[in-house]
Parts: sequence; structure tokens; C-alpha cells
Amino acid sequence: MSLALPLGLVWAGAAVTALLDGRRRCVAWLAVGVLGAGFVALCVLQAHVLVDGPRTIVAGDWPAGVGIALRADALGVVFAVLSMGVLLAGLAYEVVDDLESRHTPALVLFMGAGLTGVFLTADIFNFYVFFELTMVASYAASTYGGERHQIGAGFIFAIVNLLGTFLFLIGLAAIYTVTGTLDMDGVGFALAQSEPTAVALIGVSVLVAFSIKLGLFPFHFWLPPVYVGATPGVAAMLSGAVANVGSYGLLRFGGDLLPDLFAAGAGVLAVLGSASIVYGAIQAISRRSASEVLAYSAIGQVGYVLIALAVGGPVGYAAAILYAIVNALNKALLFLTARVRGWLVGACFAIGALSVAGVPPSAGFFGKVELFRAGIDARSAVLVALIFLGGALSFVYMFQIYQRDFWRDRHDTSGGRALQVPGVLLALVVLGLGLWPEPLLAVSREAAATLTGGQR
Amino acid sequence: MSSVVTRVVARMLLAPILVVAIAILVKGFADVGDGFSAGVVAALGILLQYVTLGREEVERTLPVRLLPHAAFVALLGALAVALVPLSRGDPILTHSPPAGAEVTTVGKLELMTAVAFDAAVFVLVLGAVVGIVHAVARAYEEMEAT
Repeated sequence: MSLALPLGLVWAGAAVTALLDGRRRCVAWLAVGVLGAGFVALCVLQAHVLVDGPRTIVAGDWPAGVGIALRADALGVVFAVLSMGVLLAGLAYEVVDDLESRHTPALVLFMGAGLTGVFLTADIFNFYVFFELTMVASYAASTYGGERHQIGAGFIFAIVNLLGTFLFLIGLAAIYTVTGTLDMDGVGFALAQSEPTAVALIGVSVLVAFSIKLGLFPFHFWLPPVYVGATPGVAAMLSGAVANVGSYGLLRFGGDLLPDLFAAGAGVLAVLGSASIVYGAIQAISRRSASEVLAYSAIGQVGYVLIALAVGGPVGYAAAILYAIVNALNKALLFLTARVRGWLVGACFAIGALSVAGVPPSAGFFGKVELFRAGIDARSAVLVALIFLGGALSFVYMFQIYQRDFWRDRHDTSGGRALQVPGVLLALVVLGLGLWPEPLLAVSREAAATLTGGQR
Repeated sequence: MSSVVTRVVARMLLAPILVVAIAILVKGFADVGDGFSAGVVAALGILLQYVTLGREEVERTLPVRLLPHAAFVALLGALAVALVPLSRGDPILTHSPPAGAEVTTVGKLELMTAVAFDAAVFVLVLGAVVGIVHAVARAYEEMEAT
């Protein structure tokens, strides 16, 4: 199976549903079906990549270095599978909850096409194009609901993130000026021999661009209003799928293309990550509504990814990838269950809450274990203490929501049974990965090995 | 509303602008130009009509409301050009006929998948920009009305 197939399938599906009225059930379910097919195709691709190694195709059969390449390696494909799965759950939730906008299914499919492209391209300019495709679709999707505060939040989201992608584009232009190539392999090779000052400037612009996307402190200010204003399904997609571009971008550009610079700037990354963890946790504890707590929690949780990146090496990168995966699943699960009621959803939310806090038997436990390993690997007592403190704080704010929302009106089963399905399935995934974590650990080590040149 | 002179000039400019756009599209295969820039030029021509004549009159006299739909059809066409080679086992975007092969011609027009792809990009860009212009113009009218 060609690696262009999932990308083309979802993209063509997006173009077809854009022509149809997405409020009609059959169109909405068609969109869910296309996303599902894309998800299955990506899973098959992942199995192939993990068994046979990375796959590359060069468009138009041009010689390498001239033609634009698509490449599926262990790192890209794991993020692609993850994002597509979260989009699928989020869209299914919104479809069950009755779509009010005719554009939403098409926008989600465009997001899916953009994300697949971002994770499967080997060309930095195509990375930007797919990044922008994803973002433009998410700006439009974030205003779903059409309330005044949602449009306001969407506007801030669009402006701040456009600044971010613009900075990224400047960084790409600088890379092209310095190296004369846009192919990722060529760029990585040429940057290693370029003038350090130029490389540092490129690194800073790329770091800021992806930090804005991730909502790291101090670039987080756009994030809470968007996540609070968005409907649960859209919030799950933004935090569980679109935000992966930030983690993946930092891993790909930091770990793969600018490894020396990232090693030199590890202190900066650690400080930014720690600030995010502490700021996000303290703000989350002080908030009352579930969606606000989750929004600030999202700011805190990405801090862990950054400190794992700061540690670097096989252990640090594996921890960063594992934590990014677990965090995306947690956030999607929590957003999809936070506004539905009933004992089953309450239990699923509790699994998500335990996973954020890093308590077994949930996938979050192994996220924290790998982070501790990275902290010990870096011989940093401060890092280990910080991870422990962050975990304790997240335990407090997650169970504040649980206590406030789920214990109060436990008999209200609004939304019906079908609305619970996406959340329950995600909860089973989180629980399953907590009980049988070997595949997850193996996949994240395999993905990290693509950044360290095969070193494990 | 704009004066008679600007309205007449805007009307008269539309045809030449579209011709220039098509020229840029066609020229792209031998010279500087491509479907993207041609689409932008054509969209600027339509934008000029919106600015001088107002949304209602443009949408009554020209078939611009079809363009956003045409854009998605064009996107499907472009994706088809990109993906159909996969069925023959070639990489994506492999164009036919390949370099050096005999080209089928209709009059002076040479039939190549690369031309189809660029024409699709042209319609896609034109349709997307016109869709945005329409949305902005309508939002502005609603704002004026309240």
C-alpha cells in the first residue's frame, strides 16, 4: 500500500464533503467513515513501517533532491495514527451531538489531510503548507457554535497562530538561504556545517513557532479562551490532534534537524518547560469550570514534553514521544467526557484524571515513569522533584473537577448513550495502554531511534 | 457607490484581466507563470468588480457564486491527477505522457496531465479567493444593516 493513500483518501473526502451539506446525517457519517478509513490505512502503514523500516516516495519519479518526497518513518507515522484517531473520536462525538454547521465535517477532514501531510512529508516547505492547511481548518472549526465569545476566541486563535506560522515561514526561508535545500535530510546535513549564529536564529524562530502552537508558557495566552469556548468535540480535536503538530515539530526540527543547537539550548527548554508545568498547574487549581481547568492543564502538560526534550538522547526523546501520545489521548478523553453525565462517563473521566496525574493502571503512569527515567538519566534531582510536584498538583485539580461536577448531579444522563461511546472507547485505550504498555513503549523507542540515528 | 467612470472602467477591465490570467496559466509551461499566480490575477479582476459594482450586482450579472463550488471540484481533479498514477504503480504526480513521448494535440492544445493539474490549481485559487471575497462582502453588508 502506498503511503500517499491515506493522505489522498482523506483529502479527496474533504473536497467531496465540502460540496455537500454537512448537517445531513448521511454526509456527516460519510465524513466519519472517510476518517475511519484513513485511520485504518495509517494503522496498516504504521505496521509496515515498524516491520520494514521507513518508506519514501518522491513525487513524479524525479531524482532525489529534485522531487518533493513523502516519507513515513516511525516518528511521523505514530503521530499520524494518534491524530487521526483523536479526530475520529472528536468528529463522531460532534455528529452524535447533532451538527449545526454544514462546514464542520469538511473542516475536520481538511484538518485530517493537513495533519497526515505534516507527519508524512520529508520536505520542510510542504511541512509548512500542510501545517497551514491544518491551522486554517482549525481556525474555522474553533468558531463552531457561532456564539459571540466563540468567534472572539477563534479570532485571537487565528491572529496569534498566524503570527506563529509566519515566524515559522521566516525560519524556513532562513533555512533555505543557509542550506539551499528544502529536503529534510539535506537540511539536517547542511545545517550541521553552517554558521552557528545563523543556525541559532533559525532554531529560535522554529522553537517560538511551535511553542505558540503548543501553548507553552509564555506563549499560552490564546489557548484558554479557545478551549473554553469550543464545543467538547472540537476542543478534543484541537488539544489531542492539532496540538501534536507542536510536539512533532519540536521533535523533528529540534531532534532531527538541529540536534546540536537543541543540546546547547537544553537549559532554555528546561526552564520554559518547568515554567509551563508550574504555571499551568497553579492556574488550573484556581479555576472553577471543568473546561477552564482542562485548558490550563493542557498548558502544564506540554511542559513535560519540553523537559523530556531538554534531556534529549534516546531516553529523553522516547519519554517526550510517549508523553506527547499519552497527553493527547488524555486531553481528548477528558474533553469528550467532561460535559456528559452518567456513572459510565464518570468512570471514564476518572480514568482520564488518573492518567493525567500518572496513577496506575492508566497510560499516564508510564508517561510519568519514562519522564522519571529521563530525569534520572540526566542526573537532575530538580527535574525529578518537578515531575513529582507537577503530578501531585494535577491530581489535586483533576479531582476538584471530578468532585465538583460528577458527584453533584450524578443522575443527569443528558445527551443519551450514544454520546458516551467516543469517550468510553478512548478510556478503554488509555486503560488498555496502562495495563499492557509494551507496544506503546516499543513504538516510542522506535520513533526516538529515528532521531538519534538508530541509537536506543 | 462609485462613479460612472470607475464602474465602466471596471467592467471593461474584466475581460483583459481574465485574458492575462489565462496567458499566465498557459505561459507557465515555457516561461514564468503558473496556475496559482493566474488564479490570483483572475481573482483580483473579480475583486475589482465587487469593489466598484457592489456584491449584489456582481452576483446577479456574473456566475461567481458557482466558483467556490468549482474550487472543490477542481481540488478533486488535482487530487485525481496526483493519485491516479498510484493505480499503475508509479509515484504520485507522475505525469503522462512522460518526457520525450508523443503528445496528443487538439488543434494547438497539447493534452498533458500537467496542464490539467495547473488548470485545476487555477480554478481552486480563483474559487477560494472569490468565496472569501463573497463572505467578507456579505458580513460587511450585515454589519451596515444593523
